[in-house]
Amino acid sequence: MEAPPVSVLPITGGTINMMEYLLQGSVLDQALESLLHRLRGLCDNMEPETFADHELVYLLKGQQGNPFLLRARRSLSHPTVPWHLRYLGQPEVGDKSRHALVRNCVDVATSHSLPDFLNEMGFRMDHEFVAKGHIFRRGVLKVVVSKLSRILVPGNTENTEPLSLSYLVELSVLAPAGQDTMSEDMRSFAEQLKPLVHLEKIDPKRHM
Amino acid sequence: SNLSFFVSVQQREEKLLDASVESLISRVAHLKNALHSFIYKLENEYERLTWPSVLDNFALLSGQLNTINKLLRNEKTPSFRQQIIIPLLLSPDRDEELAKLTEQRVPVFSHEIVPDHLRTKPDPEVEEQEKQLSAEAARIGPEVAQKQIQTLNKLCSNLLEKLNNPRDDRDADSAAIRQNKPSFNPADTNALVAAVGFGKGLSKCRPPGPVAPGHTGQGPMMSGGPTLQQVTIGGGSGQQQGMGPGAPQQQGQPGKMPCNIKTNIKAASSMHPYNR
Repeated sequence: MEAPPVSVLPITGGTINMMEYLLQGSVLDQALESLLHRLRGLCDNMEPETFADHELVYLLKGQQGNPFLLRARRSLSHPTVPWHLRYLGQPEVGDKSRHALVRNCVDVATSHSLPDFLNEMGFRMDHEFVAKGHIFRRGVLKVVVSKLSRILVPGNTENTEPLSLSYLVELSVLAPAGQDTMSEDMRSFAEQLKPLVHLEKIDPKRHM
Repeated sequence: SNLSFFVSVQQREEKLLDASVESLISRVAHLKNALHSFIYKLENEYERLTWPSVLDNFALLSGQLNTINKLLRNEKTPSFRQQIIIPLLLSPDRDEELAKLTEQRVPVFSHEIVPDHLRTKPDPEVEEQEKQLSAEAARIGPEVAQKQIQTLNKLCSNLLEKLNNPRDDRDADSAAIRQNKPSFNPADTNALVAAVGFGKGLSKCRPPGPVAPGHTGQGPMMSGGPTLQQVTIGGGSGQQQGMGPGAPQQQGQPGKMPCNIKTNIKAASSMHPYNR
């Protein structure tokens, strides 16, 4: 089930259909410091920003077709901050030469009653994980370096175990639909992170 | 005849002085133009300005200053310090000739501007700084100064050596080091992307990895801890996540093993992951 196309969505307050451009890679734990050092040099000069988030992924099973997926995220380091709900569409198949993964993206902030609400709507939590790491920005580009951990006891975010010996590195930009200049900038930024990290367009369907 | 010889020497010296002043004026004009265009770039094109371009500008200025220094040090150049400039006529009236010569910077040759334009001593702040530096230099003594000079020279020559060595050598060395210490593992990348993309390896109802022979990259991800099944059975609170109305099956994804953990399928409203 995909979100309906822009033309069908009600126009409320002039919201624009946003697309997320994404490149992903990873870095081994032992090379993390080098990567952070390089990012500190390449990215905007700001206080180093770390985060600790708990993400819950909800599925709504329809009669047929793929289930509808929503991602709910809350901050473990700032428990009173609103929850964040995100919808990510299927990656746009188009230009093979386009350097980044492009998909529809809808973000909203919600209150803390989000899990209850989703359950009432009929969603079921499919999986959850904890992500901790660092955020960097360079203009509109956002770089997130995160350690993903699985939650061993449902709902207990203290008891986690890392998923791998690497950190996930994601370079993303949120831009209105139609603006295709992003992927070039992303590609040149990705070049600067080589050979520490290889950021590429990875189609998640390939790894199912 | 002694007098005529003296006069001709004087004439030659005057000509030399004129020539070197001319050439100094032209060098300084080049420097001024370079500074002018650099300042313009900094003020108006700073968004497009790249660091190498800035360095180029500084290099140009440095070269021009070097040229001026060389000119001043040249033995053919008469010593300017020994020349004395005396203003012969000061007037509060505008002097068009002077204004044209100085590009409108000095329109009047009056009592106000002369002390600044004809000054021979450095600015008071500069004088103060120079005094401090001289005092510092005198304070540390010749041996310490010599050691500092030697250290600086050694650092510079080390750096120059590193920079001048052929790039191929350096690249070969670093390539070898890089091969020994990889900084990323593609298998990890795939595992993490799959986890964050659709929960591979995270969902309680899915086995830790596909059985299909094509996917051999699961090793690094799973080596860190117990497999999913062990974890769920051992540590679970006994309440399993209901996957909604319907048994936990393949969910339309080919190649996945069906879930072999028994789940309690309860009515939706009575199940909540966060029991309150």
